[in-house]
This record gives sequence, structure tokens and C-alpha cells, in this order.
Amino acid sequence: MAEEANLHSLQELEREEILQVLYRDQTVRNIEEERIRKLKIHLQHLRWKGAKRVSQEYKEKSCARCQRILGLLLNRGAVCQGCSHRVCSECRVFLRRTQAWKCTVCFEDRNVKIKTGEWFFEERAKKFPTEGKRETAGAKLLQSYQKLSKISVVPPTPPPLSESQCSGSPGRLQELGQFKGFNKSMENLFLSVATHMKKLSKSQNDMTSDKQLLATGPRQCTGQSERRSQSDTAINVTTRKVRAPDILKPLNQESPKCPTNPVLKQEDLSSSPPPNTLFSGGLRHGSLISINSTCTEMGNFDNANVTGEIEFAIRYCFKTHSLEICIKACKNLAYGEEKKKKCNPYVKIYLLPDKSSQGKRKTGVQRNTVDPTFQETLKYQVDPAQLVSRQLQVSVWHVGMLTRRVFLGEVIIPLATWDFEDSTMQSFCWYPLGAKAEKYEDGVPPNYGELAVRAKLVLPGGPRKLQEAQEGTGDQPSSNGQLCLVVLGAKNLRVRSDGTLNSFVKGCLTLPDQQKLRLKSPVLKKQACPQWKHSFVFKDVTPSQLRQASLELTVWDQAVFGVSDRLLGGARLSSKEDPAGGTDSCSQSKLQWQKVLSSPNLWTDMTLILH
Amino acid sequence: MASATDSRYGQKESSDQNFDYMFKILIIGNSSVGKTSFLFRYADDSFTPAFVSTVGIDFKVKTIYRNDKRIKLQIWDTAGQERYRTITTAYYRGAMGFILMYDITNEESFNAVQDWSTQIKTYSWDNAQVLLVGNKCDMEDERVVSSERGRQLADHLGFEFFEASAKDNINVKQTFERLVDVICEKMSESLDTADPAVTGTKQGPQLTDQQAPPHQDCAC
Ligand SMILES: Nc1nc2c(ncn2[C@@H]2O[C@H](COP(=O)(O)OP(=O)(O)OP(=O)(O)O)[C@@H](O)[C@H]2O)c(=O)[nH]1
Ligand SMILES: [Mg+2]
Ligand SMILES: [Zn+2]
Ligand SMILES: [Zn+2]
Repeated sequence: MAEEANLHSLQELEREEILQVLYRDQTVRNIEEERIRKLKIHLQHLRWKGAKRVSQEYKEKSCARCQRILGLLLNRGAVCQGCSHRVCSECRVFLRRTQAWKCTVCFEDRNVKIKTGEWFFEERAKKFPTEGKRETAGAKLLQSYQKLSKISVVPPTPPPLSESQCSGSPGRLQELGQFKGFNKSMENLFLSVATHMKKLSKSQNDMTSDKQLLATGPRQCTGQSERRSQSDTAINVTTRKVRAPDILKPLNQESPKCPTNPVLKQEDLSSSPPPNTLFSGGLRHGSLISINSTCTEMGNFDNANVTGEIEFAIRYCFKTHSLEICIKACKNLAYGEEKKKKCNPYVKIYLLPDKSSQGKRKTGVQRNTVDPTFQETLKYQVDPAQLVSRQLQVSVWHVGMLTRRVFLGEVIIPLATWDFEDSTMQSFCWYPLGAKAEKYEDGVPPNYGELAVRAKLVLPGGPRKLQEAQEGTGDQPSSNGQLCLVVLGAKNLRVRSDGTLNSFVKGCLTLPDQQKLRLKSPVLKKQACPQWKHSFVFKDVTPSQLRQASLELTVWDQAVFGVSDRLLGGARLSSKEDPAGGTDSCSQSKLQWQKVLSSPNLWTDMTLILH
Repeated sequence: MASATDSRYGQKESSDQNFDYMFKILIIGNSSVGKTSFLFRYADDSFTPAFVSTVGIDFKVKTIYRNDKRIKLQIWDTAGQERYRTITTAYYRGAMGFILMYDITNEESFNAVQDWSTQIKTYSWDNAQVLLVGNKCDMEDERVVSSERGRQLADHLGFEFFEASAKDNINVKQTFERLVDVICEKMSESLDTADPAVTGTKQGPQLTDQQAPPHQDCAC
């Protein structure tokens, strides 16, 4: 019995280890995707330029690339092997160490194929034509693990309510069944402990000798982590257990009531205008915002003229999910109080968009210096998957008399493309301090909190039917399905001055024929971080309709005197092109939405940013 | 542990995308032949005599300069143990090149080379570049597989061949660099023979003829 438990824990250890690798790989992939996206944009521009030229009337005697007139005897031009256009000698690029050349556009095309790895995917497609282009084993494993873990590890979070309402949905066991064969390796790895153990003994006949296996087995559970390609020796493992209450935890966990922000002064409460003016739906940029920002910035502050630099390093340990910001020093800071030549600086950080007090980390205060040395490490527990949506905000402040604060400058670093693998990225680095970023930078929509939902497209026939449903007209009754949505909860909402809300969620599904299906959740009273766990079921919709549809989810604060409810924020899900040009968070939710549509009968969890 | 002490390395590039392209490489072979050691020698220049068998998969990233290009290598280290086979073979498709390793002091690991190469044929793309590496060539006293046999098998399978030692740092860098070069050659070949930009007929084989590298014998 004891031995079994031991084996089981070994299994878990293995899973942990492999997961770490998968997450590290995920960041490498994110960075690579970003790089490729840029390259592709670049080529597209080049193509457009080329297109103009091609569309011009074709002249036999001019260079297809620069339009230079070609001579009859001298500079006659030659035909490019790539595109068969005649080009002048200026518009040729010679390939390395050869006499062969291509015209400038063909060369760039070739270049991009090399840089993006496209050549490999094209070659590979010859053998595996059905393989998704850039799909990697790691991505697949991670995906199926995340799905599996939702089903088998996390207790059934969507309440029975949703399960019964989605009558067409197969039970959990069936869902599990669908995974069989979907990804053999995950099945082997994470699911069947029993068969796994059998395999272990069977495998000894294969390419490995018994002797080796026996020898390596026991050692596995001991020191293997030492050799993982991690750079985490400095990380204190205990920090993992002492998790700060953190927005980065999955929202569907039952979280303790969010503490109300203690900063608001009494006068705010008494002098606040009547609710119907303050909380009217249209009012978004007025006094509410200022209440909110006052909360997060701990009262009033003054601005100094920003000067100087700050030195820090960013590290992430994939093993413990710990993000470490090592604040080393600042130099040439502005004086917090210019006249008195006084400066008592400290550093404060947030992982935006979280500006809650739980998300704040601060260093100690240094006295009477504009070149302070801190040498402090501030830590967060962040899921690797969450990193990409975060920005690190590092700001420097002066504490004056009567705890008056003066802003001395800040740096904002998006973590989406931060290469945590690259050791040079982990080194200390000086960053120039900047003035306070505009509240809403151009193109970056305001963030009014986060809404966690879980969605599933229920089709009667399971995944196999999807193909038909996609190809058919979509009108056969057999392909009619329903969209199940569980509104789990929301965080970081713009609370009332007493720190609470009476909130509810509205869902509106707009079908291609402009028909609107509306649903509403019950009101949850007196909560800052409501957990509705309410399910919306949109019945009788086909996958093809949904692909053209858009789903709008809005969060509201119920009006106290019933005048008008206050809109707290909303998010839109749609697979159509966003006319406004998608921001990153938009395109992310678009991807998630597409995942819902393309994996029927499976739950997909999403965290939507409210705008 | 890359730590604060590296900071003198100089200012980091503001962009981490500071490379021209990325290759993915897979190291395979029986358990204990030295795959992980080989990778650690290459990426970290470290070696430890202790044996910690790899769990499933692992990888390291290393950016190198080769032919005036910065190439980012994502090198996947696979577990040799059979029980991880399903997970490791899933990675074959993503790899442009392979290092297939045996241990010159272990006959069985050499006999398994044929099977490993079949795995590559089955799970990988058709132009997979493979280097056969006989590791632990520092242990001459315990050698059971002669260089000659290694070379013959490599010829038979159409792979290039190196003998190497992760312990004494023999031919480690050379192996990776040769593999990168071979992949680069494959890349030019595939780009210049079948250029999809050609709509009509190909105008001639000149490009490929000139691209074909003189076949060097890679002695070690
Ligand atoms: N003498 C000598 N020993 C080596 C050499 N390379 C590896 N070893 C030793 O061989 C043992 C196995 O090395 P690993 O690199 O862990 O083997 P592996 O191929 O990764 O094994 P799996 O992870 O189980 O697939 C270790 O004890 C190493 O120290 C070498 O070049 N010379
Ligand atoms: Mg290993
Ligand atoms: Zn020209
Ligand atoms: Zn051309």
C-alpha cells in the first residue's frame, strides 16, 4: 500500500516536471510567434509595393522591379528564376557562394521563408498533410492537459444547474472517453496510472536493458530536479505555499471576500453625490475613475519632474511559478521635495492590469538620497499562461512629511514577449524612468476588471458531427446545438465607494440575422468580487450561425433607487474581424472563442477583460 | 544558475528576438548513453558524473553564430526510457534535425541504433537530418563498439558520424555545428528546388547544382 502511494507520487512528480518543461516551451513559442508575426507583416508590405508594380502595364523592355528601361544590347536584363520577370542587374540578389540569383522580391520571399521556418513546414506537409502548420507537440500536450485537468482534477465547478440545463451534453465520463485516442501520449502520461505501471515493467524488454532501468528508477524521485535546465537555485520553495491572495489564481476558485479598500476617506462617503448621478450608466470617465485611481494610488500624490534611472532584473522560475523582480538601485532621482532637497525613495510594483492592493509589492524606504540602493527581491506567484497578459509596472515614490507621496517616475514592461529562457534577459539592467503613463494610452482600451466564464458548444453528435455541421447548410435539425455559458465570477470591478456592488451579468447573443437572444443572471448583493456561477444557455443555434454571431457580456451594478443600472464594463466575443482593429486582449478572446466553436462538447475557460 | 553576476555581460538587447532563425533539434538514443550530459556540455559547458535519468522531455535554448547568421537552437533532450516513448515520439515531427546517440561502451545501445532510426523514419519528416554520435569516447578501456563499426553503420543508414565525449568535451560543439550546417543545406535545397513562387516550369536545375555541397568526410 505504501509502495503504491509512493509510485503515485512519483507519477505526480513526473507530471509536474513535464509541465514545467511545457510551460517553458510555451514562452519560447510565444516569443517565436511574435517574431514571425512581425516578419509576415514586413513581407506583406513588400508584396503590396510589388503589387503596384505588377499591376502596371507590362513593358517588355523595363525592369519588373524598378521600371528602369532595359537596353537592346547593354543592360538587357535577365529573367528571374523565381517569378519569370525580366529584371535589371541592380535588382538581383546573388545567393551565397553561387552565381545564382533572384530578383529582390523573390529573394525577400525566400528570406522570410527561412526566417519563419516556413520552408520546414512546407516540407513537412508533404509527409503529414493534415498536421496543423505550426502546431507543436508541446502545445498539444499542454492543451490536452489543461482540458483534462479541468475534468479530472478540478471538482465540477460549473454547478449541477448548468449540467442539467445543457441536456444535450454528454456526461463527464463520456468527455473523458473522447480524449481516448485524441492524444495517446497524454493519456499514457496523465491518465492511466495503472497501465503506466504495467508499461514500466514491460518496457524493460525493449531498447533499454533491465539493469539500467532498475538502476535509474529509484534515483528518479530524488535529485533529478538539479539537472533541469532551470535557473532557480535562489528560489525559496516555501514561497510557493505562502501564496498571497492573488488575482492570478484561477477565478473559479472560491476566494475569500475581497477586502474593501481601506484607503477611502470618510468624507468620500458622506460627500458622494446621490447614486443616480454618480452611478448612471453613461458615466464612465468622470468621478468614478478618480475614486478608483485614488484608491489604488493610496491617496493623493504630487508629481516631481521625472529624472534618473532604475536598475532591476526580472526572473521567472517555471518550476515554482515564481516571478522575481530584483530591485537593485536608482540613480539621479528627482528630489521629492525640490525646495528642501529632500528625497526618501521607495519602489512599488504592480503586475498590470491588476492594481489591487493584493497585487502591490513595495521595497523599503531609503532616506535622504537620490541614488538609493535597495537590493530587494519582490515576488509574485503567476501562472505561466498568465504572464503573457501582464505588464510589469515599476514606479518610484518619495515619502515626505505626513506621509505625503511624490511620484518620481516609472517603467512599464510588457511580459508577453519577455524571453525568460534567455539568461541575458535575466541580468540587471538600467531603465530610464518615465513620466506617469497616460491613464489610457491611445489604442489601449481601459480595463474595468476581469470576467471569468466557461463556455461549451453542445452538439448532439459529438465532435464527429462538427465536420458535417460545418460543411452542410447548418440548417438541418440534427446539427442544431446550444451554447452553454457559465458566468463564473468577476474581479477588479469598479466598486462603489463602500467597496461593494450589487452586480449582475447580461448576455446578448446576436445572430447573423440580427436576431438577439438575451439572458440575465441574478443579482449578487454587497460583493466586490461576485461569483455568480450562473449558466446561460442559448438554445437552437448552429455552429455556422455562431461563427457569424457575436456574444456580448456586460456586467452591471444594480441601481439603488432603481433609476438606472450602472454599466461596469463589457466584453465581446466574436470570430468576425473586429472593425476597430483588435487589441491584444481582443485577439486573445477571439482565439478562445474560436476554440469554443471548434471543440464542441468541451468546456473552454476564458478570462475576459472588461472594457 | 544565470544570476546577477552575468549582468556584466552588458546591456541586454531591448528585443529578445535578436536572431535570424530558429532550428529545433532532438537528441535521441537509449537511456544512459549520455544525451543529457551532451546537451549540458554544449549549452552550459558543465558535466556531472551522476546519472539522473530524464523524465519525459526537457530542452535548452542556445543562440549561435553560424555563416553570419544568429541561429536560435531549441534543443530537445528526450528520455531514453521506453515508458516515455509516446511523449518523446510526439516531438519528432517538430524537429528539423536529430542527434542519434549510442554509448561506445554499451553494445546494446549500439544495437538499438537501427530501431531508433526506424523511429525517425516513421515519425519525422522525410528530409530529417541525422548525425550518429558514439558517445563516451573518453572511456577507451571499456570500448566495445569500434569506430569502424560505428562508421559503417552510419554509412549504411546514410547519416554522418562522430565519436564524442561529453565528459572530456570532445566533438560536442562540432556535432551541433555540423548538424546546423546540414540543416542549412537542406533548407537551401528545399527552397531552391521547389520554389512555390514559380508558377510555370522550372527554368533549370542550376540553382540546385551549385547549392549541392561537396560531400565532406567528417572525421572526428
Ligand atoms: N565517461 C563518460 N561518462 C559519460 C559521458 N556522457 C555521459 N556520461 C555518464 O553517463 C551517465 C548517463 O548520462 P545521461 O546524460 O544522464 O544519460 P541520458 O542519455 O540522458 O539518459 P536518459 O535521460 O535516461 O535517456 C551519467 O552518469 C553521465 O555522467 C561521457 O562522455 N563520458
Ligand atoms: Mg537524459
Ligand atoms: Zn531593376
Ligand atoms: Zn523574382
